[in-house]
Amino acid sequence: MKIKFWGVRGSIPAPGPETNRYGGNTSCVSVTTAAGKLIIIDMGTGLMHLGNALMAGAFGKGAGTATILLSHTHWDHIQGLGFFPPVFIGGNQFTVWGPGRSPHVLEEILEGQMDPNFSPLQSLRNFSAKFDVRAALPAFEAEGLRITTREHAHGNTRALSFRIDENGRSFVYASDVGYPESGPEPEAIAHYAGADVLLHDSTYNPQDQATRRNRGFSSYEDACTAAIAAGAKRLVPFHYDQDYSDDAVDGIVAACRALLDPHGIAVTPAREGDELEI
Amino acid sequence: MKVRFWGVRGSIPVPGRATNRYGGNTSCVEVRPRAADPIIIDAGTGIRHLGKALMEGSFGDGRGHASILISHTHWDHVQGLPFFSPLYRAGNQVDIFARQRDMHLEAVFSQQHDAAYFPVPLSAMQAGMNFHELVEGARFEIGKARITCARLNHPWVAIAYRVDVDGAAVVYCADTAPFTDMLLGRDFIERPSFGTLPPPVQDELAAMRAGVVALARGADLLIYDTQFTPDEYKVRPHWGHSRPDDAIEIAREAKVKQLCLFHHAPLRSDDENDAILARYREVAAPEAFTLVSAYEGLEIPLGDQ
Repeated sequence: MKIKFWGVRGSIPAPGPETNRYGGNTSCVSVTTAAGKLIIIDMGTGLMHLGNALMAGAFGKGAGTATILLSHTHWDHIQGLGFFPPVFIGGNQFTVWGPGRSPHVLEEILEGQMDPNFSPLQSLRNFSAKFDVRAALPAFEAEGLRITTREHAHGNTRALSFRIDENGRSFVYASDVGYPESGPEPEAIAHYAGADVLLHDSTYNPQDQATRRNRGFSSYEDACTAAIAAGAKRLVPFHYDQDYSDDAVDGIVAACRALLDPHGIAVTPAREGDELEI
Repeated sequence: MKVRFWGVRGSIPVPGRATNRYGGNTSCVEVRPRAADPIIIDAGTGIRHLGKALMEGSFGDGRGHASILISHTHWDHVQGLPFFSPLYRAGNQVDIFARQRDMHLEAVFSQQHDAAYFPVPLSAMQAGMNFHELVEGARFEIGKARITCARLNHPWVAIAYRVDVDGAAVVYCADTAPFTDMLLGRDFIERPSFGTLPPPVQDELAAMRAGVVALARGADLLIYDTQFTPDEYKVRPHWGHSRPDDAIEIAREAKVKQLCLFHHAPLRSDDENDAILARYREVAAPEAFTLVSAYEGLEIPLGDQ
C-alpha cells in the first residue's frame, strides 16, 4: 500500500513561512491499496488538496469510490469536508466509518458542521455524491482490506486508531492519543504490534506535554515508547502542535531518531506531499 | 487609528509556500483607535495570532477589553475564536456583536465548542463574554468609536460595519455578492440561473446596494470582498462573493479615499494576487481613490494617530 500525507498538523491550520517544510494543513492521510483502492483517514484541511488531486481522475467523472476512516470529530479532523470537491459530483460514493455507537449520532455531528449558521452548504443532504455514514466496528472490511479499530482516550473524549493489513504488511494510524502517566496501555501495544509503519501522535515535546497532559495528546517520547514496545519497524511522527515551527519539528524528528536508532526502528516524519510505500 | 490585517483569506485557511506573502489565515481585521481598546472585525484563524499579540499587553494580566464585530457566522469568520488566548484569562472582557439569528447568539457560538467538536466548552472560558445581537441599520458606540452597519447579499445574511473614530472612517464589507443577479438569503441554491428578477427582488437588491454605498460614503478605507475574478463569478454567483469590478463601482459612488481588495480565494497564489492587483490598478487609474490588496501584517494608519 501507498501512504500519502495531505495534512499533518494538529488543532488548527497553521499557515506561514515557518511551516512551509512540514506543512500547515490539519490531519488527512490517504492510503492507496495494492489493488488501487482508496482509503482516506481524517478530513482536516488537507482533504481539500487531496480532493483537488482526485478530481483529475475517476472522481472528476462521478465514478470514484472511497472509504473514509474518521478518528474523531474534533474540528481539525473534519473541517475539510465542505471543501472536498468529489462530494459535489453525483455518482461518487463514500463510506465513512467513525466513532460512536450509532451511525445516526455520527451523522448528526457531521451535519452540525453544515448547519446554515456556519456553512453555505446547509446540509450533508446537499452533497451530490453518496455519503454513507457508519459507526466503526472493532473489525470490518473496507476496499477489500481488513481494518481493526481501537477506541482510546483523547482528553475528555474518545477517538479511534486504525490498523490496516494488506498481504502481511500493516499500517497503523494512531493520532490524538492520550496515554495515562504510566504510558501506553497493553491494548494499545497489541493494536500496534509489529506494524510496518506506525503513524503516531507526536503533538508535543516532553516539556510542553508535562503541562498539557489533560489535553489528551502524545509527546514524541510517548510515540517512541509505543513504537519500541510494539516492535514497530518504522515510526511516523504526526499531528504537530500548531505553534511548532519547521525547526521545532526538526528537533522532534532528531530526538525520535536518537531514541529509536538503538532499536533498529526507522523514523520518517509526516510531511505534506510526501509518500511512503509499504 | 490603525487598521491591521491578521487574516485576509476566504473560505478555508490555506498554508503553504504559495500563500506566504499574502497569508493563508481566514478573515480577521483589527481596528485600533488611538489609546483605546481594540475593535476586532471577524474571528477567522487570523485572530489566533492577534490574540497572542494582545497577551503581550494588558490581556496577559487579565485587564484587557476587546470588542469583536462578526460579519456573519460562516466558519471562515468564526473558526479562530476557540484559539483566541485572551478568552482563557480571567479578568479579560470580550464583547461579541453579530446579527441576530434564529437562536440566541451565545447558543450559536456555543455550538462551535460542543464536546463533539472542541474540548473546551464556551462556558468554560475564563474571560467575561457578552453577546450583543444586531439588526441592519443598528448604530452604537464602543468607547469613542461610532459603529454603523448595513445588510449584505450573502447566504444566510451578513452585515457590513463602519467604524468612525479619530477623525476617520473604515468600512468592512465582507462577505457579499453584487446586487444585480440574485438575492441571497435562506434558500439553498444548487444551480444558479441568470435572468430577469421580479421587480420586488430588484427593489430589495437596489435598496441593499444603496445602503452599502451610504455606509461607505466618504470613508477613508473601504475593505471589500473580492474573492472572485469575473470568470469565477459567472459560474458561482450564488456563493455570495464579489469581483474587484463590483468593489470599484461601490468605491467610486461612495467617494472613498482608499479601496482594499480582501477575502482572497483560498487557491489564489501570491503571484496571482499580485497580477490581480496590477490589473485592477490600471482599471482604477482614473478613479479618485487608491487601490491596495490586503495581506497579513498590512497596517494602514487613518486619521489622528
